[in-house]
Amino acid sequence: MTVAASCAMAEPRAVRVKHRLRWGAWLLSAIVLLVTGMLLVAAIRAKIMNLEVFLTYFTSEQVLLGARNALILGTLALALASVIGLVVALMRVSGNPILAGLSATYVYFFRGTPMLIQLLFWFNALPTMFQRLHLTIPFTDIVLLDAPTTTVVTPFVAALAGLGLAEGAYMAEIIRAGILAVDKGQRAAARAIGMTEAQVLRHVVIPQAARIIIPAGGNQYIMLLKSTSLASAIGFLELLRIATDIYSSNFMVIELLAVAAFWYLVMTAFATAIQTVLEKTFPQR
Amino acid sequence: MDTSLKAAAVVLDSVSKSYGPVEILKNVSVSIAPGEVVTLLGPSGAGKSTLLRCINHLETISAGRIYVHGKLIGYREVGDTLHELSDREISAQRRSIGMVFQSFNLFRHMTVLQNVMSGPVHVLRTPKVEAAALARDLLEKVGLPDKADRYPSELSGGQQQRVAIARTLALAPSVMLFDEPTSALDPELSQEVVATIRSLAEQGYTMLIATHEMAIARDFADRVIFMVHGEVVEDVPARSFFTTPRHERSRQFVARHAG
Repeated sequence: MTVAASCAMAEPRAVRVKHRLRWGAWLLSAIVLLVTGMLLVAAIRAKIMNLEVFLTYFTSEQVLLGARNALILGTLALALASVIGLVVALMRVSGNPILAGLSATYVYFFRGTPMLIQLLFWFNALPTMFQRLHLTIPFTDIVLLDAPTTTVVTPFVAALAGLGLAEGAYMAEIIRAGILAVDKGQRAAARAIGMTEAQVLRHVVIPQAARIIIPAGGNQYIMLLKSTSLASAIGFLELLRIATDIYSSNFMVIELLAVAAFWYLVMTAFATAIQTVLEKTFPQR
Repeated sequence: MDTSLKAAAVVLDSVSKSYGPVEILKNVSVSIAPGEVVTLLGPSGAGKSTLLRCINHLETISAGRIYVHGKLIGYREVGDTLHELSDREISAQRRSIGMVFQSFNLFRHMTVLQNVMSGPVHVLRTPKVEAAALARDLLEKVGLPDKADRYPSELSGGQQQRVAIARTLALAPSVMLFDEPTSALDPELSQEVVATIRSLAEQGYTMLIATHEMAIARDFADRVIFMVHGEVVEDVPARSFFTTPRHERSRQFVARHAG
């Protein structure tokens, strides 16, 4: 009674609200900024890079060619990997024990060995295994291809095959996860209205799985664009190979590595932009 | 048998279904006449859903035969063997058998209109303009003309189920199967779905409805099939099921649900 009365009588008093200071986060920010600053200062003091040289090579014809080659190789490899991944994923979920087993084995081998080994393997093993490639359309005399294997398996072809096959194993797992995430009821409803298995896949399963496949696929695209640098090991003229070729003659190591790194960043930005557009095309519903 | 088989909308002839050692359906024989509204009642696990899913071959059967309008479903009979039909042939049979699911199963990535158009456009290859006009008509019919451009996730459960019914109607099915159409809905929303189903009954659709909703069974069903443990215990006119249930299990069921 008295409490209620005194509350009612009291003048409304302005109260200040003061929140707890998250000092841990602020302290950490300070430390990170300090360390970064020290590294920058050290780099500038040591004059590790000549900016003029960087700018000259950044847009030089050779470097642009390397960047273009890397972009083409990475993009084609992703396309190849997506096709392989879709087929391997469908084999895995087919319910047929042999297809599922083959698919699991494929993923195990191509995901379980270093990409660099795979690239070197295709480049060296194919010409040894087959001296001459001879391809005809069955039951006709039309010859599609007839050439020594070494002329067909160029560094580009070997790199594309190596990256595409290896990446296909990752894409298979990503696509499988996407397919499994589609509710079983969606498939039942599609079949109940009379869609064939292929139509169910095309009109219902794939568009819904895409929501899950695209963010992970974008990640893989970025990885692939950078992995094209592995192709330098088999003599493909991509960005890193060109940069190392140049600095081994002029010794501007840091500048040329920076040029290459910068172009990889540009490519990554490009891949991220594509991913963003695709995510908007297949939004979460 | 032959004449009644041709005259009936749905015939189940000694149908059995088992998963390994577990028998889900035991020697079920049922015949449904065109225009008849039949409710499938029974406790959970009685095999009601499985029975419906066998009629459009979403589930395969272990023995027996199922006919819809005289056509053997899912198989071709050669001598004394049933050979399963191809994917394409089974899909063609499913077009005339509509199915409505407990969890609606509207295609999430499509708008309401696209959902209703999906059968005509993808399955019947109807031109899009024509299919869209039909879809709008059907949405009008189920009372949702203003939701055409919404996505399923923006609708209430009752609205989603009415869209699902419209999607099924778009293929002009000769038989409609309802698999517990109101079980995922609260009482108020389930009423609007019941009203939609009732209007279909009045339009003369042949319907087989597995349900726990007594209002459907009592108010406008012609017949009740009562199942327990995969067997048909009673197959009687709806009225007599509620007034004079013959078997012990159905008496208990009526007493519990009619109260």
